[in-house]
Amino acid sequence: MTHWVMVADLRRCVGCQTCTAACKHANATPPGVQWRRVLDMESGDYPDVRRAFVPVGCMHCDEPPCMTVCPSTATRKREDGIVTIDYDLCIGCGYCIVACPYQARHRTDRASFAYGGRPSEPEAKRFDERRLGVATKCTFCVERVDDGIARGLTPGIDPDATPACVNSCIAGALHFGDIDDPHSNVSVLLAENRHFRMHEELGTGPRTYYLWD
Amino acid sequence: MTTPATAVDATRVSTYCYQCVAGPDLLTVRVEDGVALAVEPNFCATPIHPGAGRVCVKAYGLVQKTYNPHRILAPMKRTNRKKGRDQEPGFVPISWDEAFDTIAAKLNAIRATGVLDASGYPKVAASFGGGGTPQSYMGTFPAFLAAWGPVDMGFGSGQGVKCYHSEHLYGELWHRAFTVSPDTPSCRYVISLGSNTEASGGVVGVKRHADARVRGMRRVQIEPHLSVTGACSAEWVPIRPKTDAAFLYALIHVLLHEQPRERLDLAFLAQRTASPYLVGTNGYYLRDAATRKPLIWDRQRNAAVTYDTADAEPALEGSFAVTALEIGPDDVTLAEGELRGETSFSKLAAHMADYTPEWAAAICDVPASTIRRVAEEFLAQAAIGETVEIDAERLPFRPVAITLGKTVNNGWGGYECCWARTVAVALVGALEVPGGTLGTTVRLNRPMSDRIGSVKPGVDGFMDYPFNPTDSKHWSPRPNIRNAYRTLVPIAANGPWSQALGPTHLAWMFLDGTPEGLPEVTFPEIWFLYRTNPAISFWDTAALADKMARFPFIVAFAYTRDESNHMADILLPECTDLEGLQLIRIGGTKYVEQFWDQEGFALRQPVVEARGETRDFTDIATELARRTGLLEPYNAAINRGAAGISLKTERYDFSLATAIPHSRDEIWDAVCRAASAEVTDGTASDGLDWYKTQGFRTRPFGRINWYLYPALARQGLRFELPYQERLFRIGQQLGRRLHEHGMTWWDNQLAEYQALPAWKDFPGLWEKALVKMGGKPEDFPFWLVTARSMQYAWGGNAGIQLVQEVAANIAGHGGVIINAGAAARLGIADGDLLEIRTPQRATRGRAVLRHGIRPDTLLMVGQFEHWATPFARDLGVPSMNALVPLSLDLTDATGSGADLVRVGVMRVGRSP
Repeated sequence: MTHWVMVADLRRCVGCQTCTAACKHANATPPGVQWRRVLDMESGDYPDVRRAFVPVGCMHCDEPPCMTVCPSTATRKREDGIVTIDYDLCIGCGYCIVACPYQARHRTDRASFAYGGRPSEPEAKRFDERRLGVATKCTFCVERVDDGIARGLTPGIDPDATPACVNSCIAGALHFGDIDDPHSNVSVLLAENRHFRMHEELGTGPRTYYLWD
Repeated sequence: MTTPATAVDATRVSTYCYQCVAGPDLLTVRVEDGVALAVEPNFCATPIHPGAGRVCVKAYGLVQKTYNPHRILAPMKRTNRKKGRDQEPGFVPISWDEAFDTIAAKLNAIRATGVLDASGYPKVAASFGGGGTPQSYMGTFPAFLAAWGPVDMGFGSGQGVKCYHSEHLYGELWHRAFTVSPDTPSCRYVISLGSNTEASGGVVGVKRHADARVRGMRRVQIEPHLSVTGACSAEWVPIRPKTDAAFLYALIHVLLHEQPRERLDLAFLAQRTASPYLVGTNGYYLRDAATRKPLIWDRQRNAAVTYDTADAEPALEGSFAVTALEIGPDDVTLAEGELRGETSFSKLAAHMADYTPEWAAAICDVPASTIRRVAEEFLAQAAIGETVEIDAERLPFRPVAITLGKTVNNGWGGYECCWARTVAVALVGALEVPGGTLGTTVRLNRPMSDRIGSVKPGVDGFMDYPFNPTDSKHWSPRPNIRNAYRTLVPIAANGPWSQALGPTHLAWMFLDGTPEGLPEVTFPEIWFLYRTNPAISFWDTAALADKMARFPFIVAFAYTRDESNHMADILLPECTDLEGLQLIRIGGTKYVEQFWDQEGFALRQPVVEARGETRDFTDIATELARRTGLLEPYNAAINRGAAGISLKTERYDFSLATAIPHSRDEIWDAVCRAASAEVTDGTASDGLDWYKTQGFRTRPFGRINWYLYPALARQGLRFELPYQERLFRIGQQLGRRLHEHGMTWWDNQLAEYQALPAWKDFPGLWEKALVKMGGKPEDFPFWLVTARSMQYAWGGNAGIQLVQEVAANIAGHGGVIINAGAAARLGIADGDLLEIRTPQRATRGRAVLRHGIRPDTLLMVGQFEHWATPFARDLGVPSMNALVPLSLDLTDATGSGADLVRVGVMRVGRSP
């Protein structure tokens, strides 16, 4: 089997938001909607303070709470672990947005563009009416992954089969690959480094792993 | 239906982004049906690019930049003759013909009466954005400027004053270091005083440091606030602003007075620095009477010998009686005969004796134990005695570095910080060797494209340096441009970059009153502006905008309306990043962390058709040359290399006919052919079409060229450290010249020329400035500082929605950061509207409460408070630039100031 996971190396991430911007380019999300973003977190009191940058997005959970609450079965989970939304089935009820403990889901009801009500040429070209009034989120760039596999490429290794955020990461913090393959890039990283998953105690089985010191 | 940006039928077009000095980044743009859709890395460049072909977040704003509805898409002229912030310019579209006619008429009128005015200043001025990055977008405009003749490029927009200024100048003097970097791939320990690498180091810097962190490199970040770089460091040490020199002095004290001497790199100090040079009682080197060369004490002969005596065994410490000359300013012999001389090293040790960690602790608000521990860790990691082989040459390996950030290395205290940093790394032999502290590029020394090649023998066994003269025969009280860099700042040199590295705020200040001794500072008759917005990016921005309004004729190459081109008479719309065409040099060693194993050229090409009536900068330059009768010298300048490479050498000849105008593609085809020939040693001559499909062309660049040490060793040269005899002499001579002409207003700056700089109360200078402004320090208890933002720095992209959106994820972009405890004491809650004020000015912004900042410090990220730039003007983000005065009192000897001001805070509104 193949199960895709994301690995974020917190030792490397600098919070530059290049992945955020690359995701917006790759997926043509409207202003304010960020399927991938990096949190700027602070802990402690002056002068004993730590600041960390934490990439977040849909965790493509093993037990996705968003799927459980979805009344229309729009949210599903593929065999390879990617959690999908069928826009044709989604009724935009927003239960999943509330249920997701990672705040990874969005819904926009009106078309919005970077500079007011009129789309630029790229925005017009890429506007998708089906995304209005439905839940949206990170797809692990599923089209890119599927298209790449169909062309014999390896997701996480070949850029044309790898999520845009991973391709873009200037710090080499983001990695994507098959956790079921013990020799894959992500399996090796997880074997060699300490790691955790966000809100693991909730039992969601998030498929984004964080490396740390 | 959403079109995935990965659609296979889309086309990937390669180009580069050079919006900031940490570039260029090589990228591709996905284009479909002639529309740019998405920016992606250029993975074809992975094998040759130290950032693995990835591209910075700023580049992702380029698609929106291209299609921004606020763009100026046709030439425009002003219809309201009154200028000012409160005046609507009344811009109306005109034809390119009318625009060129108007500009050419002005230029030709100037040529008819002389290109200099009655004061001797150029009638034409031009200002470009920081770090030289606009040059990667202005095509052959430099050739037009070269053809024109004298142009005043000294009206700054921040460069030369708000940059890494002391590092630029003293760095080039001491180790050809316009900027300074750790040898990050092999460095083990970095002391970073405010150096914000993770925000301003670009793709390459971020990648190199991420690799180093995982490898185990330890970085101690010393700065008043916990920056993104601090967040990525092993340790944050919150230091009081502008006290960094004290920290470094204490670090040197520990090395010199608390550690056994043998732990220092004594061989490096003896052979590669001036530590053994004997200094006389007047403060100048003792010299051999016959050769006038500095003397050292040879322990073998037990006698003084000249520094270049091959078999000498130099004494590093001690005082010796020798037969010598001591030559002072203006070549006057101060003493001769039997003289007593002390080694430079001994003088250094004595100088640093009182600068203990306990002394520094009181100044820096950093525990003495922390300073001592950091110094000891630094020494322990220096690996003195280790060597490493680089390109078949065995070199010392000293994996420690000290880096300095903006505001640390400019303005008062910048000299002391740069000197102390360079001395500290020299004490452990970590200067310009693998693992250590390296310079990156040269901009004042020649040739600019060959840092190692710029190492040439100069006086007294040091590298040559192109100081402006201070002797009575050659020094001139008549500056060539209004900021008077050649008259006031000898170390600024006199090359193409010197004008913008002089005291660029003086040009602005002197418009309202020329100080005694200088010719009256005048307004230029024509001012060209490109990729710069001094009305936002400089200081005292309100006053600066008022001055701009008095410029008689301004031509602005305009992307959108902004606060500076609000005062313009003509707006010229040029092709932006994804529309224009230009070939630039890449690779080698360059700014910040750009250390490549390749060098060559990359092409920026039209990814999409130019929008509206925008024109390529090269075509604009050619037309200006044609209409001003300058085609011949313009083409000749291109042939000489004004487009980045000479078109004719002994090996090839692609030169252009000089009598006729050439199209953009003809010009750049010739440049591409010359580049191909250079990269392939003459075996290839591929032109523009080749680069359009391939994007870039490189050849190997030996890693040995990252390090200056081998070039110095080969030529028997020494780093000009620690004693600054030459600077001391120059300062004395400069003072004499100025006083001979009644110029005493630069006396405070003259005091900076010390052979061994002493600590001064640098924070106190800003407190005095506050009192001079009419304030009491207790009413203005905060230090206001700024920090670079990776999303915005240098980009001129505050009007790009995508950039604003993603930058908002990083704390502080929306307001002013204040310590949560300090805010609580003042009753300030997160999101409250604050007024931050000096006695003279005020700015407003929302409070952002954080714990990672000193309680006495406020932080404003970036430079905002736009009032004309579309989109940006609605953000409501404050700027410290509105508050910082243009002040001679706060100008150091290099002509630099610092982003620092004392402020008070008042809540004026609740969080919405």
